[in-house]
Amino acid sequence: MSAAAPSVPITAEGADEAPWHRLDRRMLLIRPVLDLVKSLPVLIGALVLGHDGNPWQWIGVAVTVVTVGTGISHVLTSRYRVTATQVEWHTGLLLRKQRAVPRDRIRTVDVLSEPKHRLFSLSAVRIGTGRHDHHKGPGKDQLVLDAVTRAEAQRLRTLLLHRKPAAVEAPPETVLAEVDKRWVRYAPFTLSGIAVVAAILGTVYHFAHELHFDPTRFGPLRELTARVLQEPVWLVVVWAALGLLAVVSVLSVGGYVLSFWNFRLTREPGGTLHIRRGLVTTRSVSIEEDRLRGVEVKEPLPLRIVGGAKVAAVAAGLREGKGSDRGGSLLLPPAPASRATEIAGQVLGLDLANVPLVRHSAKARTRRISRAVLGVLLLSAALFGLARLGAFPEWPWQAALALLPFAVAVGFDRYRTLGHALAGQYLITRSGSLARATVAVRRDRLTGIAVHQSLFQRRAGLVTVIAPVAAGRGHYRVLDIEEGAGLALADQAVPGLLTPFLESPEKP
Amino acid sequence: MKTENTTTLELRLRPPEHRVSRRAIGHWAASAGVGWLLVTGGQAVAVATADNPPSWLWTTLVLSCVLAPVHLLVMPRWRYRVHRWEVTGEAVYTQSGWLKQEWRIAPISRIQTVDVERGPLEQLFGLARLTVTTASAAGPLRVSGLDHATAVELVDELTHATHEVQGDAT
Repeated sequence: MSAAAPSVPITAEGADEAPWHRLDRRMLLIRPVLDLVKSLPVLIGALVLGHDGNPWQWIGVAVTVVTVGTGISHVLTSRYRVTATQVEWHTGLLLRKQRAVPRDRIRTVDVLSEPKHRLFSLSAVRIGTGRHDHHKGPGKDQLVLDAVTRAEAQRLRTLLLHRKPAAVEAPPETVLAEVDKRWVRYAPFTLSGIAVVAAILGTVYHFAHELHFDPTRFGPLRELTARVLQEPVWLVVVWAALGLLAVVSVLSVGGYVLSFWNFRLTREPGGTLHIRRGLVTTRSVSIEEDRLRGVEVKEPLPLRIVGGAKVAAVAAGLREGKGSDRGGSLLLPPAPASRATEIAGQVLGLDLANVPLVRHSAKARTRRISRAVLGVLLLSAALFGLARLGAFPEWPWQAALALLPFAVAVGFDRYRTLGHALAGQYLITRSGSLARATVAVRRDRLTGIAVHQSLFQRRAGLVTVIAPVAAGRGHYRVLDIEEGAGLALADQAVPGLLTPFLESPEKP
Repeated sequence: MKTENTTTLELRLRPPEHRVSRRAIGHWAASAGVGWLLVTGGQAVAVATADNPPSWLWTTLVLSCVLAPVHLLVMPRWRYRVHRWEVTGEAVYTQSGWLKQEWRIAPISRIQTVDVERGPLEQLFGLARLTVTTASAAGPLRVSGLDHATAVELVDELTHATHEVQGDAT
């Protein structure tokens, strides 16, 4: 069916009685195999536990059959169609599900091709609405078609996002950015390898534990430990650190290549940003520029030290950091900072590199440094208290005190980072030291203004201006700005909103 | 880079027009009182029943007994002086907090939901809490300690006003 999709009369598409489409039948070759592999633990467990006349093995087989059967029935019974007003989706044999997503609420169409899909040039299509569900999981207003042919995926994307049935050829697009192979040098500084190492160690430990395998009783490992313990401690620490660093670097580079190979950021004439990336699993994300609320240039400290940065979109309907959604809003992988600023500027239509940011006053510096120092002092005091009670040894609080110079440095760097500006349609704010981020948000899409003032800020005459927005992190802050300047900034950012509530004490 | 120009701007936010109900003082004191009762009560029971209570438990108990009345006397009155609200044709404006204060302004056109909630204590004091949400995850505008009748009136007014504005409020 879907192989013949482009030949479906286009006029019928989007009409009230649009034809139904089915998932690609070739999934019948893939899905059962994967389901079988997934239920292998159950099956093996049942076979190990089961003897003759024991029901366990039959239960195991039944579970496997049900799992595989559900998968097959999902592929066979799922059908979808695009009518004039909505995308309809029906599935299920015994438990029937129907879902309809209004077409005017569709904001993103993601196309994902995992290795299993690439075997037959298939893709999973995820159709999402612009609802900002930062705290909830995949909502009911999202549709996943797993899987259709690549041509069908492309057709759905143009049909749903551009609202025109120009099915066969992709619209012409301008390339904004492509990955440069030399950017791989930034990979080790993303520290993404650490997560992989942790995951591997966790899995190994888990299996060792499950199999009652005690590493201290394992011959070769024991010899190794004994040999290592004879060496001086500092040497062991240095070697371990170097080894870990090497492994993390290699894994980070691997991760970078896997996720960002063939990365391309393009702009289509219909007003859509299109991101394609991935070596083995390819991903394609489209963001309607109408839904784009802004752009964030992120510079985590390790990346910043080597002059790198990455860019993320602040867009409604793209959730941050959740499973496969992670990185959905990425507009540029770790790259040279100047390039990142340039790309962010191109996306916004703004010369971001040449927008001068207004620095914050000396009072902000005092506050940043005193907050960092106070945090360390409180930690030290708490550890000191625990040491007095005998719960802790003495060295932790002394070690905490030794962190003071770093706290001062971080506090000062935080102050140096602070800055804000209004440029064209955007409010720009920068903050953070360990995770520095420069954000530009559309002023006309702010859902209001909030101003915070703590007791200490009140004494210093500072405020924190908060710009709430229905996308990304939900709100972006201008930290420790002079009260008058902050209110003037907020007033200019959203013209007219604050004006009736403002007063100046020294009226002429 | 420029630095802030501090001399030209002496802007301030004026407080919103309306205070919350005076009964809110009693309500805030009561709800904080319940919390303190649990904290000090728990410690007192521990001290009384343990054979040999550790010395630090005495310290924290005395500390709680000193802090509780101060908090209960100062916090509700301070809050009452701060908490204010105002609704104009274009926006909702709230002021809240005590040590840390907060001003929130949301245009009527961005309002998504308007709720009134009443907990058991609030019902006892004849009060209600108004929550106005927008599409952002930055948190809603809240007015606590409103007179119940005023709150209901306000919901009607706001629902009416938001209905007249078109768009999906994002």
